[in-house]
Amino acid sequence: MERIKSLLGRDPNITEEAVFSALWSEHCSYKSSRIHLRKFASKGPRVLMGPGENAGVVRVTSGKGIAFKMESHNHPSYIEPFQGAATGVGGILRDIFAMGARPVALTNSLVFGSLRQPRQMTLFRRVVSGIASYGNSIGVPTVGGEIWFDERYSKNILVNAFALGVVDEDGIMSSVPPQKPLLAVYLGNKTGRDGVSGASMASRSFSGSDSDLRPQVQVADPFVGKKVMEATLRIIREGLAEAIQDMGAAGLTSSSVEMASKAELGIEIDVAKVPLRDNSMEPWEVLLSESQERMLLLVEESRVNKILDIAQESQVSGTVVGRVIPEPVFRVKKEEDVFAEIPVKYLTDDAPLYDRPSDSRTSLLSPSLAFPPSEGGSHSIAALFHLLLDHPNGGSADWIFRQFDFEVGTRTLLPPGHDVAVIDIRAEEHAVAIALSGFSHPLTRDPARGAMLLVAKTVTDLAAVGAWPIGLTDCLNFGNPERPDTMSDFILAVTGISDAAKRFGIPVVSGNVSFYNETDGLSIPPTPILATCGLVRDKRTVVPGKVSHPGLYLGLAGSTRDLSLGGSYLDWILQDQSAPPVPGIDWEALEGLQTFMSTLLADRRLRATRAIGRGGFLRSLLQLVAGDETLGVALKLQRLEDPLQTFFSEAAGRMLVAYDPENSDSILRTSLEFGVPFQRIGITATHLWNIRYQDKDGRSKEISDSPVQLKRRFFGSLTDQMEDLP
Amino acid sequence: MPPLHRVGIVQFPGTNCDLDTWEAVESIPNLTPVFLSHRDRRVPDLEAVILPGGFSYGDYLRTGSIAAKSPVMELVGDLAAAGVPILGICNGFQILTEAGLLPGTLLQNSGRTFLCREESLVIENCHTPFTSLFEPGTPLTLPIAHQEGRYFLDPDQLHELEENAQVLVRYARNPNGSLREIAGVVNKRGNVVGLMPHPERRVRALFGKPDGLLFFQSLSLFLERQLLHSSASTS
Repeated sequence: MERIKSLLGRDPNITEEAVFSALWSEHCSYKSSRIHLRKFASKGPRVLMGPGENAGVVRVTSGKGIAFKMESHNHPSYIEPFQGAATGVGGILRDIFAMGARPVALTNSLVFGSLRQPRQMTLFRRVVSGIASYGNSIGVPTVGGEIWFDERYSKNILVNAFALGVVDEDGIMSSVPPQKPLLAVYLGNKTGRDGVSGASMASRSFSGSDSDLRPQVQVADPFVGKKVMEATLRIIREGLAEAIQDMGAAGLTSSSVEMASKAELGIEIDVAKVPLRDNSMEPWEVLLSESQERMLLLVEESRVNKILDIAQESQVSGTVVGRVIPEPVFRVKKEEDVFAEIPVKYLTDDAPLYDRPSDSRTSLLSPSLAFPPSEGGSHSIAALFHLLLDHPNGGSADWIFRQFDFEVGTRTLLPPGHDVAVIDIRAEEHAVAIALSGFSHPLTRDPARGAMLLVAKTVTDLAAVGAWPIGLTDCLNFGNPERPDTMSDFILAVTGISDAAKRFGIPVVSGNVSFYNETDGLSIPPTPILATCGLVRDKRTVVPGKVSHPGLYLGLAGSTRDLSLGGSYLDWILQDQSAPPVPGIDWEALEGLQTFMSTLLADRRLRATRAIGRGGFLRSLLQLVAGDETLGVALKLQRLEDPLQTFFSEAAGRMLVAYDPENSDSILRTSLEFGVPFQRIGITATHLWNIRYQDKDGRSKEISDSPVQLKRRFFGSLTDQMEDLP
Repeated sequence: MPPLHRVGIVQFPGTNCDLDTWEAVESIPNLTPVFLSHRDRRVPDLEAVILPGGFSYGDYLRTGSIAAKSPVMELVGDLAAAGVPILGICNGFQILTEAGLLPGTLLQNSGRTFLCREESLVIENCHTPFTSLFEPGTPLTLPIAHQEGRYFLDPDQLHELEENAQVLVRYARNPNGSLREIAGVVNKRGNVVGLMPHPERRVRALFGKPDGLLFFQSLSLFLERQLLHSSASTS
């Protein structure tokens, strides 16, 4: 407040104070994170639009780009799960089509507390339903998703939504207007009191007495959202707008101030012109409302009528609400009365920027500690595997996927349930693969190495379909930045993501930070959620992540140099006190694996592939043979120094592949040629789950199970909890 | 160059399978798709009409109920009365039942959630313009994607429906609580068809088994035959 007074040289009035409070909030200003986010490399030969725009845009082929971004909607979803999640989807879609891109895919990462608590069950059910309702209705397929249940998120659930759109290179829209006289046109839903001051709400911690927050959550209307989307895309296609931004956090205020600020101009808004649902709204309420399905367009005067015609035809509100002005101030009027006049610079550049204290922890390199040898017996491996499958975190996420219309638009080449989702972008034979990774446990163990592991996991997942990473977006979910330990986690994680992305040459083109995931002083573990997009050159080479035929050979490719168990799902479920180290990344081996996989796929030598991911080797193997209920495997492995590591490590860069026996020799030859470690491990077989190996003393061991029973565990552990009707 | 048959595809506000349906129709050599607006009352030379899936009018009030009262449905009603082939897919099926062009109604799934997945189906009635290329009893796989797909009607009408062989297709395993596993029906006259599964999502081989293609090819064959008959009778 003192800072505002000294900037203005006077006391702000109520409208001005509201404007400052919203734009200086963490949510809008990134005041605690901005200096650290500069670490990300956001440039690259393919990058057409980087951070600072509504979404990043990366070129996929000459003349075509993809726009994508991920955003959190954690706080609203905890207060009102259905609307919070639905508006999260609506908001991220508006970011995509504001760039002129037609959205073609949605996905999400969801984290809740334990399902043993009824409240979490309700939150989960309603969030999934909210996400489904928006995507299904607007007609953009939700092609995947991740879920994680963990007590530590009981009071701060995470709902992160990702969207991707396709755009012609010459049709990319920007939020940066040119330096000429422009009018501000409002397009979309009418403004109501919903979501007033939402940005400020999302920028603080919850406390026990937050029952008054409900009106701060917005209400989604996908039907209007679709009309606004079609109208906006048409306006852009016809070249009628100079700059567009969606009215997201802090609504009309942030969209108008940010666009003006980018052109170093001012803007004047007449709140009397804003279409309202309730005419008794005060100017500050109009300015800060976060009513959904609204866009702000800056346009030349000569084109206004055409735009208003399109709005009318589309049955959405369209009206001129202001104009860009040469003097760099944000002026709010209601007809002739001035309600606020603030230099734009005070709201943006002069917003507080903190280099918050962090504790001096560097990356934790914990001592290498293996599990006690007693757990290495084959009996306990089968039992541990059951333990992993029986927890909802290890089960199939089919219960959420079937609520998503994942193929409307008929571009979905790989639906949910594989390592990646693959979307046909209808440009030459190209397709885009999307790999998500948001498992926080490695970061709990070691924020820097854990963050690198997440990046490497997405690269491995992309390699499963022969896709090369071309861009990354992230959503950084953390606790209270005013705490040095949280800030330290944040800095380490950002450094880890940034270093790993640079190592693979992946530009970080968009992203979002969600701080204050804290309730009554308890913060969530550091949880960055990443989505890496990859390019598939020929969509006809994509293979699925599962097979249904017996008699196929199975192989294991990739480096086994560091198979530490730190940060793995097994580590999480056993809550191992010895804190094993997070596996390091064998960069060169992973690059070799990428080339190896894309060569084999291009030659059509593989039938199915599965990157070793959550749960490790055994769980990924089970998913690989999930195409048929009775299908299992017969494996014979070499001598294993540490069976637990082999079966449960989640080190990045290992891949399971299934292929026809006649390709066996040629695959082995290719592996030698590329220097990629590869071994044939067995065969797919009906009604058999048999794994033989020798322990480090040369004793023969055998794991036997029923594939039908294992699959029942896998498909039942989440679904059985959620289905209350036959 | 054989003449192209004009197939109308209705776009209501909120329809979202319109482009997919367009592509499916366009993939058949002698069919040409034409978009119809919800405001259109008169469009010449339509030989068939498809009401695609989606969320017309946001599913507000009740699925399909607002769309059923829109101007274009007068046109669809007139065409149906004239014997023109009409196909409603998913939301289109819901609209046809709301408009009284098909018997029964579609209630919320018994599991109360949206369901998107492939279902095994068995086709029964192969005498409609959209199913003539199938053999009765053919098993096929098509995706469903709906929240209100539980087919329901009263016992007398159900009896009549079965008696008249108006059940077009049934689920092999009931996903949504539909009476008698019914996934699609046809009107008494045999020209108005409603389907909950989405044939337009399975017309290309890249994308699962192309079991939906035969619905569109059947239509093409029907319209060609009709042309042959009419030219025979006029000559």
